[in-house]
Amino acid sequence: MGIERVQCGYVSLDETFEIRKEKYHGQQYCHIYFARLHLMRTLLYSLVPHWKPNYPVCTVLELEEGKECVIVGTLYKHMKLKPRILDEYSKQKSVVPLVKPHNFMHSDDYLVLEDESGRVKLNGNIIPPSEYVTGIVVALLGKESGAGDFLVQDVLDTGLPPQIEFPLKSGEDKYVVLVSGLSVGSSTSNPLQFQLLIDQITGHLGDEKAQRFASKIVQVVFAGNLVEIPQRILNGQNLASEDFARMSEPIRELDIMLSQIAAGLPLDIMPGPSDPANFSLPQQSLHGCLFPGSSTYNTFRSCTNPHCFELDNVRFLGTSGQNVDDLDKYSDAKDKLEFMERTLRWRHLAPTAPNTLGCFPFTERDPFFLESCPHVYFVGNQDKFETRIVNGSEGQLVRLICVPKFSETGVAVMINLRDLECHALSFTVDL
Amino acid sequence: MAQTKTPTFIHEIESLVSDELQVVSYKWLSRNYMVSANEAKRVLQEFVQKHEGELEVVYALSGWLKSKDPTDHQTRLVTGPKLAEAQQEFDGDCSVQVYSVQASMPKDKALLWNAEFVQAEELFKQPSTVDNCLRDNRFCEITNSFVRRKVDGSRVVSAAPQSKSAVGEGPTKTNTVQKSPKSIARDSIDKVDAKPQNVIQEVKSESNGIGNTVALDNINKPTTEKEKALPLPTGKKKVPADKSGSVARGSLASFWSCASAKPKPCTSSVENNNTVSNPAVSTENAQTACEEECDSGIDDNQNVSVRRSSSRKRRVVFDFSDEDEDDDDVVNLASPDFPNKQSSEDSSQDDKNTSEKTTLNFDLQEENKSRVKEERETDQKAHLPLGGNVSAISKCTNTGKSSSEKLESCAPEARVNKGSVNNAAPCSPKRRKVMKTRIDERGREVVEVVWEGEETEVKKPDKVTTKNTDSKTNAANSAPATKKPPANSHANNGQGGNKKAGNKDPKQGNLLSFFKKV
Repeated sequence: MGIERVQCGYVSLDETFEIRKEKYHGQQYCHIYFARLHLMRTLLYSLVPHWKPNYPVCTVLELEEGKECVIVGTLYKHMKLKPRILDEYSKQKSVVPLVKPHNFMHSDDYLVLEDESGRVKLNGNIIPPSEYVTGIVVALLGKESGAGDFLVQDVLDTGLPPQIEFPLKSGEDKYVVLVSGLSVGSSTSNPLQFQLLIDQITGHLGDEKAQRFASKIVQVVFAGNLVEIPQRILNGQNLASEDFARMSEPIRELDIMLSQIAAGLPLDIMPGPSDPANFSLPQQSLHGCLFPGSSTYNTFRSCTNPHCFELDNVRFLGTSGQNVDDLDKYSDAKDKLEFMERTLRWRHLAPTAPNTLGCFPFTERDPFFLESCPHVYFVGNQDKFETRIVNGSEGQLVRLICVPKFSETGVAVMINLRDLECHALSFTVDL
Repeated sequence: MAQTKTPTFIHEIESLVSDELQVVSYKWLSRNYMVSANEAKRVLQEFVQKHEGELEVVYALSGWLKSKDPTDHQTRLVTGPKLAEAQQEFDGDCSVQVYSVQASMPKDKALLWNAEFVQAEELFKQPSTVDNCLRDNRFCEITNSFVRRKVDGSRVVSAAPQSKSAVGEGPTKTNTVQKSPKSIARDSIDKVDAKPQNVIQEVKSESNGIGNTVALDNINKPTTEKEKALPLPTGKKKVPADKSGSVARGSLASFWSCASAKPKPCTSSVENNNTVSNPAVSTENAQTACEEECDSGIDDNQNVSVRRSSSRKRRVVFDFSDEDEDDDDVVNLASPDFPNKQSSEDSSQDDKNTSEKTTLNFDLQEENKSRVKEERETDQKAHLPLGGNVSAISKCTNTGKSSSEKLESCAPEARVNKGSVNNAAPCSPKRRKVMKTRIDERGREVVEVVWEGEETEVKKPDKVTTKNTDSKTNAANSAPATKKPPANSHANNGQGGNKKAGNKDPKQGNLLSFFKKV
């Protein structure tokens, strides 16, 4: 009398986020900026004739006072409060305003546009510094003012990338569950909640109706921060033998829990900031030897941190939250979803990498450039569950999701592949 | 089926909850009594109805919450008193089921989960080739036939039909796993007459002085016992070595090979098959026996060699040859006296040993497919117990002899499976190391060079063997030689072969020389 679980085709698109043969030879980050500028400028040049057909396109060096023209380049945001390593060594005592608790914004911040030829300070209300961050490539219409600044009259960003066609509605409900911030081993996480989640999606809990509902879950994705290893242990000192156990215990517990899921349905794990993976983006997949139990299942996939995959031709793209968290430190928006939407419009997953976000120094490419638009774009480890649909100018339709930290909220997110409907899957222990 | 079980269940739940103050959750119940989760929930429901008001009950509610945007499907645990209130928050009908039953509500909510996790941990610790209810998710209602589990390269269908049929199988499997070892152990124990004390004493004497002298003393008694005793100390030594050294899969294979090689010669002379009841047991015994035999035959030197050598097959062979000498002696001597005493000694295996063996056996039975892992496990287990108890070694030896027939049957399989692995390991380096170790331990004169060491070893064994063999072998040799030409060859090999051991042929030549000396 068992219910057969609904199946779904899965295609992994993580290739671009794999470092593979790239080697670090001491190269710096100019290559990644150059690759980004080159890619995006080509794109913007193709858009400019439609946007402003009557204006010439020139470089920063070719600017002349009073001449209206379009320039394309990378934005740099000069921030007064941005922490700089050199400040620690400066002998001049300067008055530095206090940093606000949540980010490094200041009213004196200004933007600079630069290309290979030079840089120019930007002026005007059209382009508020609070919305932009370093690393974005945009096209600007304006003219040079007397002070050598560039007065911006209009801004063009690359806009949402083209999207593959959304599959025809099959009429069958298939759900994907997104979980983030399990933090197994942390003092705040309640293992009972996680167990309830497992029992719910594997079909142990609930009556037949609930189990029929659970049988339509085709995929679980764990978006980062699976474990939390006590900071005290990670101080670079030699570990005592009992500390080894303390360090590995959360991972072992996670393995036991994950294998219960893997025995029932496919699951993807992505590394996050607190996981034992590399720090810089793109974070590479956690090695299977960390999970000797669950990695024996064909349903268990360890994935990279920006993680891209397709389920029945519905494309998912997600991160463990670093990109949006970093945007939140250096810019302003009304909610996290707006940050996400901006990254889509800028066509770049993590514009602040490598400036303020750790990033591998790629030489040939910029892996965070978005070539195509996902249908579902999620970001993990956020404070609360938020979701919205964004429509692009070319008919793109994207479901944005902020996945909350499960250890703090007990909330996972469920998406219906049929219509991208989205709802919370919450677990509370109310005793 | 469920209905018949229900009453006993309920009785046990009552004692668990009220006497042992345990949190009984549906999932724990389902795993513990091998019923599906839904069945367990039903039983708990029944139990709660019978004992209303006496216990704290935690309910699991799941359903859609009212008027929330975005919509929220919630699963909530609540206590009995809050149930009605919580139900109000759900939209329409939500499912209400008993989650757990306990005598009192724990302060830490995670305690509700603790018993279940401990259980999951235990299931998780089982060898990876075992399909338990944690690994195939068999007690939930949702099946997924596409889930596969990779075990040592071979893929296991973990999710196979999970519903009732699986459930039915579940208990039987677990029972076999848990009980089979015991039963086997009992059988073996019953069959065997326990004489552990003698063996231990012998072992001690051997360990203290040189085994040979003791052996001589013991010779009056059944020589087999002495021989067995000798192997025991060696076995101990080997055991730690195995543990310390990375336990390679080859080790088990080597055991098997040894077992196969040794037992065959022995079998002709030895006719005690009584002790081994189950094939699996016999195989395990054979392994242990092989180890013991090797150790005993080789004397301390051989044991050392075994420890050091990473690839055991070759070692085993060498040891084996040495052992063969001893064995041959033993066999020869024993062959006349042999059967009863040896069998009795064999039977004397300690309960611990048997249990360990049984566990090993169990593994073997269930996991015939992947023997490599089993081998590891068995090695480790066997080693551990052996190290702990000398008597265990004696048991093993006994079993080995008695089970020689079994060994033969089992050994070939082992060889086939593991032969390739074993073959891969080179012999020569190991021997060298072994030789060195021997010298160090005994503190004798032996030269540092490997080959020289072999010579010295030869001398030593000669003494021992001469003592034993002189008294025993003369008689034994005459009989055994006729009986077992291979045994003689092995014996010869053992003396000369220990050192050179790489090839059997050279060993045999050495053995012949030994006999000449004798």
